[in-house]
Amino acid sequence: MKVIICGAGQVGWQIARHLSGEKNDVTLVDMNADLVRRATDTLDVQGVVGFASHPDVLEKAGARDADMLIAATHSDEVNMVTCQVAHSVFNITRKIARIRAQNYLDSLYADLTNNDRLAIDVVISPEREVAEAALQRLAAPATFDTESFMNGRAQLLGIQLTGDCPVLNTPLRQLNELFSTLRAIVVGIRREDRLFAPDSGDQLLADDQIYVFTHFEDVNRALEIFGKKTKKQERIVIVGGGNVGLAVARALEKRTDRIRAKIIEKDLATAEHAADSLERTIVLHGDGMDIDILMEAAIDRADAILAVTDDDKTNLLVSVRAKQAGCPMTIALVNDPTLAPLMAPLDIDAYINPRATTVSSILRHIRHGRVRAVYSIGDAEAEMIEAQVLSTSPLSGRLVRDIEFPAGVLVGAVMKGEKVLKPTGDLRIEAGDVIALFAMATDVPEVERLLQVTIDFF
Amino acid sequence: MLARLADLPLLVVLLGLAACLPLLPALHGLATNQHDLARAFFYSALILLILTAMLGIATAAFSPRDAARSHLATLAGAFLLLPVVMVLPMREALPDTTLINAWFEMVSSFTTTGATIYAPDRLSDTVHLWRATVGWFGGFLMLLAAHAILAPLNLGGVEVATGRVPGRGAAGTAQVTRTAEPSERLVRLALQIFPVFTALTLLLWLGLLIMGEGSTSALIHAMGTLSTSGISGQTSLAASAAGVPGEMLIFTFFLFAITRRALPLQAQTRGRGLPGDPELRLAAVILLVVTAILFLRHWFLADVTGVGDMGGRALASLWGILFTAGSFLTTTGYVSGEWQSAAEWSGIGAPGLILLALAIIGGGTATTAGGVKLLRVYALLRHGERELDRIIHPNSVGGGGADARRLRLEGAQLAWVFFMLFAFSIAILVATLTLLGVAFEPALVLAIAALTTTGQLADLGASAPVAYGDLSDLVKLTLGLAMIVGRLETLALLALILPVRWRR
Repeated sequence: MKVIICGAGQVGWQIARHLSGEKNDVTLVDMNADLVRRATDTLDVQGVVGFASHPDVLEKAGARDADMLIAATHSDEVNMVTCQVAHSVFNITRKIARIRAQNYLDSLYADLTNNDRLAIDVVISPEREVAEAALQRLAAPATFDTESFMNGRAQLLGIQLTGDCPVLNTPLRQLNELFSTLRAIVVGIRREDRLFAPDSGDQLLADDQIYVFTHFEDVNRALEIFGKKTKKQERIVIVGGGNVGLAVARALEKRTDRIRAKIIEKDLATAEHAADSLERTIVLHGDGMDIDILMEAAIDRADAILAVTDDDKTNLLVSVRAKQAGCPMTIALVNDPTLAPLMAPLDIDAYINPRATTVSSILRHIRHGRVRAVYSIGDAEAEMIEAQVLSTSPLSGRLVRDIEFPAGVLVGAVMKGEKVLKPTGDLRIEAGDVIALFAMATDVPEVERLLQVTIDFF
Repeated sequence: MLARLADLPLLVVLLGLAACLPLLPALHGLATNQHDLARAFFYSALILLILTAMLGIATAAFSPRDAARSHLATLAGAFLLLPVVMVLPMREALPDTTLINAWFEMVSSFTTTGATIYAPDRLSDTVHLWRATVGWFGGFLMLLAAHAILAPLNLGGVEVATGRVPGRGAAGTAQVTRTAEPSERLVRLALQIFPVFTALTLLLWLGLLIMGEGSTSALIHAMGTLSTSGISGQTSLAASAAGVPGEMLIFTFFLFAITRRALPLQAQTRGRGLPGDPELRLAAVILLVVTAILFLRHWFLADVTGVGDMGGRALASLWGILFTAGSFLTTTGYVSGEWQSAAEWSGIGAPGLILLALAIIGGGTATTAGGVKLLRVYALLRHGERELDRIIHPNSVGGGGADARRLRLEGAQLAWVFFMLFAFSIAILVATLTLLGVAFEPALVLAIAALTTTGQLADLGASAPVAYGDLSDLVKLTLGLAMIVGRLETLALLALILPVRWRR
């Protein structure tokens, strides 16, 4: 498939990397010649230097015979115009745009089906995705990573094992027998910076990071078994009242359980905007690094702090400061992926990478067909794929134990109708079932072959 | 022709309108076979019209330096001069009264205060109609002024919402090369407001007629309600044949004195709907609280053994309290027929002091009501609430939008300034009245009655009713001037007087 990606920023770059890795014909368009040159050097892509929305630039990028266009430049307006040009001039059938501004989003989400207005098929909002990710983190406070699958009936949890975990040094097979009613399965283990799919003989060690795929009703039980206490989050402090902070606060206000959130925002105009659009949430105007402001937000009695300003360093330092002041859980928004290794020494419980969330939501839309969700794990080392089994698929009609999955692939769960089941050897997979698969990046093409889903869905 | 007339000085135009007013009582006199009275009013109208024509010709070349400010001066002038002119029909119709009494009566009517020197049966209904008509015209003028003169100058309650310096128009912007002339605006708004105001009056009149009230008395009450003058004819509202249903109808028309949004005008900016109007909500809360307190105090204070009947009389007294509270909140001053029964039922008398407080709060901005105005009270309340929040979270940011924030900060400050000016006016007036020999309590009640334009307070506010007729001429003069100050709002007068003196 021929894909044009406009904007070689973090998001554009990562998507280019993913798609080119899957043997697609990718062309990257960016204004920065140096960036384009580096992209063509490192990735298997073609590069075009120029302004993304100009028709001549798009033509040079091969828009005449392109199947898809992803507009991920910094400017909403450029993204929208690029999609419109791609539609009107080049008749590209599938157009994805990243839009940040809330005002555009509100009207775009309202009538996505109406293509008369703007020729955008899919709108991706990084802020919205990040806010969602933040909420998921808050919902499962003891995890470092989480994502929901199967219409919210299943949950992928990333758990950091510590020495006090009660199930260390036990083979997974034995664990499975011990907790036979627990609908959860360990799908991935990261040990000493290496991620792998465990087999039944593997044991869990202290300091492992594990990925557990579990039924949503068993989330708390699973966390307990792996040595994590679950406590309801009631008082939450959000530092940064921009789009992300505001979206999180809005979502918290909508919940029925009374969560008391406070927002700290440095810029008065932004703070006023936040205060205007929220009802119960208290908005404080001041520097989140200021301990007086933090104490005013009662950080010592808060259950969690969410640092989501636009500055990585502020987010990290605020988290550290809050932890010192007595806040048990800290979540920081970090744009720069190279800062990720700092989380452990700084004792930050979880971080949100907007790039990763955006990339995975764009990927989900690209792999249309019967793939319903794709979540990119770690630094694109593995993927959690949720897909519907087609009747033509080699999976259909066979027992789980008989299917020849590659070594790096594990079944997380199977959903038959509305029921989510734990995969056992004698479970028969039928056409129409939804299956969740953990797959190492190298095994993704094989998984797609098994699912009989081609990336070309036209 | 109309445009030519609009170019005349506003005061002359207003004089012309005022000259037409006696025609209504003249017609009434004719219809009720009181030819003497009809003649008196008709001749007055003729004399005044001739005078207006002469003045019109003489001042045709008038062109003010600052038309907006000139209109403000005219408004003050109208309240000073027009009552003097209106004395003429009053004197013609009632030859045996003194000049100061006639003037006081006219000022009181024209400022929609509704205080009267004469016992109701001393005047014929035709003369009562004349009082009501003057009050109605005063109400209309105030409504028009609020929209066309005070609002562009950022006065009359608008300053609370905009937060800008009162007495100045909006800052000019380059692209607006021509703003509407004040006289243009005045004519346009007058043509909008007059039909609506008249139609509402006629509607209420019709409603009261259907309820069974006499035609003259119904018209007087309709005019008195719409203009918040609270003027009654020979039969007071309490004795009206329309009874409680009529009172209920009148109560719904208090809405137009509570919020300016109730009046269907094109020029109104569309905001939240009527139910979300802060003034209406505040008024509802105040009325509910006051009614509840006055109703429930019976159980706390009264000797429970004293009164037994709980059913009908309790309900009637509840209505009496609600109607009277609404009437005084809008500075109208009608008293419900059940008010007295409420006093008797509770067994502890009528609470006049609460009515004083209600009248001070007053009705809505840009309506015919007087007092401090609900919007200012609302701004102060919001400000206070916000300050309480800030005690808990000193750095918190208040929500609600830019308008609400402005209302809480600059708006509340201006509201406070007005409130203080109002309090000063009361203090100065009370001091003056006591110097002129009035006892303290009547002085206080009279001062509040005059400044809030709720003349009927004199009957109910003090422990014993204060009769306007017993006051000395000097006190009447002072009260008359105070009514004008109260009607125009101290802030507007200061805006008119101060800059001229200070620039010199």
